[in-house]
Amino acid sequence: MSAFLQVVIAGLVTGSLYGLLTLGIVLIYRTTGVLNFAYGAIASLCACFMYILLTGPRLNFWIALVLTLLFSLLLGIVLERGFARPVLHAPVFTKAIATLALALVLETIAQAIWPQLAEVQHFSTPFEGQALHLGGVYLSAIDIVILVVTASLMLVLNLFLMHTRMGIAMRAMADNIPATRLMGASVGRIFMLVWALSSFLAAICGILLAGQSNLINVQFMDPILLPAFIGAVLGGLDSLPGSLIGGILVGLVSNLLAYFLAGHMLGAVDMSNPAIRDTLIFVGFVIVLLIRPQGLRGRALLRRV
Amino acid sequence: MTQKPAVDQELAPDVVAQPELTGKKTLGGRLASQRVWLGCIAGILALILLPMLSDLIFGGSSDFQLHHISLIGIFILAALAQNILTGYAAQPSLGNAAFFGVSAYVLTWLSSDLGQPYWIGILAAVVVSALLGLIVGTPALRISGAHLAVATLGLVTTVGALLNFWDTTAGRQNYDLSNLPDFLNDDRTLYYFIFAIVVCLLFLSYHLLHSRVGRAWIAIRDNETAAEAFGINLTKYKLQAFVISAAMTGLAGSLYATWATTASSSMSSADQTIAFLAMIVVGGLGSLTGSILGAIFVGFLPLLLGQLPSPMVIGSFQLQISTLITGIYGLLLLLVLIFFPSGLSSLGTQAGNWLQRKPSKGGTE
Repeated sequence: MSAFLQVVIAGLVTGSLYGLLTLGIVLIYRTTGVLNFAYGAIASLCACFMYILLTGPRLNFWIALVLTLLFSLLLGIVLERGFARPVLHAPVFTKAIATLALALVLETIAQAIWPQLAEVQHFSTPFEGQALHLGGVYLSAIDIVILVVTASLMLVLNLFLMHTRMGIAMRAMADNIPATRLMGASVGRIFMLVWALSSFLAAICGILLAGQSNLINVQFMDPILLPAFIGAVLGGLDSLPGSLIGGILVGLVSNLLAYFLAGHMLGAVDMSNPAIRDTLIFVGFVIVLLIRPQGLRGRALLRRV
Repeated sequence: MTQKPAVDQELAPDVVAQPELTGKKTLGGRLASQRVWLGCIAGILALILLPMLSDLIFGGSSDFQLHHISLIGIFILAALAQNILTGYAAQPSLGNAAFFGVSAYVLTWLSSDLGQPYWIGILAAVVVSALLGLIVGTPALRISGAHLAVATLGLVTTVGALLNFWDTTAGRQNYDLSNLPDFLNDDRTLYYFIFAIVVCLLFLSYHLLHSRVGRAWIAIRDNETAAEAFGINLTKYKLQAFVISAAMTGLAGSLYATWATTASSSMSSADQTIAFLAMIVVGGLGSLTGSILGAIFVGFLPLLLGQLPSPMVIGSFQLQISTLITGIYGLLLLLVLIFFPSGLSSLGTQAGNWLQRKPSKGGTE
């Protein structure tokens, strides 16, 4: 039983990380219509920046953290002005291709400035090696941090979107940009804020993931991006709570599958291989999408002629 | 790409760009179709003469250079396939790299492991790809837009992971294609073989796109609802686009395995998807010339940059050339998407319009 509980908790932790990513993905998609495949690259760029601050000038962890978060806000603003605005009126698919290209460019820039990060490096945090034992369940310190940070970010974000002027304007923009503009909201400034906010979320997710595995390189976010997108689409790509639930669901299912498939063989095929697990998740995702094309929580789309 | 109402005046710029689509035999149309024929003949002659030219320029390394140029032919096929699906039938699918990888593995498995003749391998690879296209296309009809893009990109990485898993389970470093017919081991005959296929398929695609099917795809692209109202069977034509595109990508994939004499799981990866997209976006969505130009562009880039030393050092930065190449693909894609949304193939038309506008402007002054 405690082994099973352990797996569920691990699933929640992974799910929270996915959830942070899906939140950022959905935030950008809902408000600006950009399906952001560069999201992993943004997260990894921020985490790499922090690694350089920690190892280069040997800054204190917390100072480096604050500087990295500031950097992420700045990166979001720069990307909005330099990238998102010029392609604003392009079709959704063109924008999606553009973000794939952006991801390549960001990764190349990161590798050019920090060639040492082409290899896997050690990413150290103050939480390293600390853990909590609660009645047979093992909880490492970083896992607790991940759960707490995700929950509190969720709460703050929810308060922001529901009760502040800016948050309400942001939600209004997701529904109807011209109407929002007529109501007197500065659409350009909100675009900038959305990109800054989502790259802030990406930075937090990147740092937490690097802190959890204690490993980092330029491409360390790549394997995480697809599950996050699957989570986002499962959540319907249009509701923030839905996207968080989608992300957590993918994390949970992934860990549960790993638990149940461990040690099983199907003929000569080792079922515990991550490739098999990912395939099963993908097949499940497609089936869900076929039964509910709008996602688990999304609203059905009405198309006008 | 643009959602224009189907009014003649509105379509005028497109008519200038592709006169052969209107079906009217105007003087301009006849001249344009003559130009297409002249272009074809010139292109085929150039392809036949290219090996001799390459002998003159490169001498001893001529075969090596021809080997590289053959790769561009394979890219043209892949770009054509992606363009039919994305540029004409407007399906936002990122999944073609999956067929590219699977067909290479099917060919290699049949040829190397089962000892079947090469031709059966190629045929099986194309059929398997077409079937996969059908399997992917059927659910894709129910999923639209952003969801389809995510699902198909997921397909590519999942298939890549499975192929890699097969490699590790079978305990092999690389999956070599042996048992090739003798004439394909020669770079020069391989060149002629690949380009013969490319020319045939370009010819077939040209006629397909100007047939009922191609016109239906373009109608679906321009306005799905209107196309349906005109009695176009959306399911049938979209599925056709998926299957044809998959079969063509499968052919490209098995030719790639022949060209490289190996199949690798990286053929079904997000990077491969980006390369295909770069070709059609840089070249021009919904344009045959665009597919050719884009493939030439993407194919030549590594050749040109390959002349640079690796790793390249600029000031305090140093970069592997392979990384630089992917970075440049990305940058070019971005620049083209932002500044020339209709791609290289539209440059000629744009320049023409600009030149025509010049004198009238001078007249008013």
